[in-house]
Amino acid sequence: MSIKLISIGEAAKKMNISIDTLRRWDKSERFVAVRKSGKRFYRESDVDDFLKKADISTSDLFKIAEDWVSSKNPIEPEDIFYCQNSLIFQSRVIKFEKNLSEIPELKNTFPLISAIIGEVGNNSFDHNLGNWTDISGIFFGYDLEKKEVALADRGQGILKTLKRVKPELVSDEQALKVAFTEIISGRAPEARGNGLKFVKKIVIENDIKLLFKTGSARLDLKKGDIGLDIQKENNYTQGCLVLINF
Amino acid sequence: MLIQLKKFGTTLISRQAGKEALAAFEPVLREATKNEKIEIDFAGVVTFTPSWGDEFLTPLQKRYGKSLLFRNTENLSVQATLQMLEEINKDKFVIKKLKNNE
Repeated sequence: MSIKLISIGEAAKKMNISIDTLRRWDKSERFVAVRKSGKRFYRESDVDDFLKKADISTSDLFKIAEDWVSSKNPIEPEDIFYCQNSLIFQSRVIKFEKNLSEIPELKNTFPLISAIIGEVGNNSFDHNLGNWTDISGIFFGYDLEKKEVALADRGQGILKTLKRVKPELVSDEQALKVAFTEIISGRAPEARGNGLKFVKKIVIENDIKLLFKTGSARLDLKKGDIGLDIQKENNYTQGCLVLINF
Repeated sequence: MLIQLKKFGTTLISRQAGKEALAAFEPVLREATKNEKIEIDFAGVVTFTPSWGDEFLTPLQKRYGKSLLFRNTENLSVQATLQMLEEINKDKFVIKKLKNNE
């Protein structure tokens, strides 16, 4: 079967973006062209695949993540969102970081955004290794047009993991507050647990919004916040569900 | 002794990777003479987090104390991470200001 190639003009029209954007994406290898006699062409099938993925990413990303963590019959998320292990997550953060670096207004601050994404995602892996409740790994999706990132895991949740170092914790709300405010000192019995304090610091000092749900607790955090707005919700989130806007 | 962090990668985010980096570098560290300054160069690092930093820098800080120096710490994620680690470990890092020709 022959592969149908279309011109850069046709591809740009189909994808509703400019020819310059396609040239830039080719250069950065985000969406690669086929060279023929020095000109750029695109496989029609690549363009169609791109549009299918774009449809998913521009629909409500957070809703897709939420549906996945709350599903009674767990299945693995779509490939484009699913990071089965931390190595896959690492490679996708590198790609995300590269895409972010190309946004002019984020020229200096993009490392802060990729750093908090790295902390939230790795937190899920570090706290659930060997203890996933059903599906191992995390959901990681982003939409650079809307400037939003959704992360989720079907792990133990903050309360259960923090209880190992602070057995006195009784509610999801309490645990979420500790996770975002208290420095867990002494590093015993485990050397982790301070990543979310870092996330809080970055969010309140920059133009970033965070929604963090675990169990029955929900935290909304934004630039300039002093206290923590933690609410109890009726719907229960297994593991963690996070939305970051920047 | 100069340690160029970019040789471990430019996106340094996970605990596991930080731990592995330190373990891999231990044989080189053993070559350092007594009282030798250990300089960590952050040039080229794009994303840096407390998880990676805690596994790599905290043990070095405990071992070398004020002989551990940092340079090229301008990246915002590097700065935020160093501040966070100072807060967690209740110990200040020494940041070396470079002259133009260094």
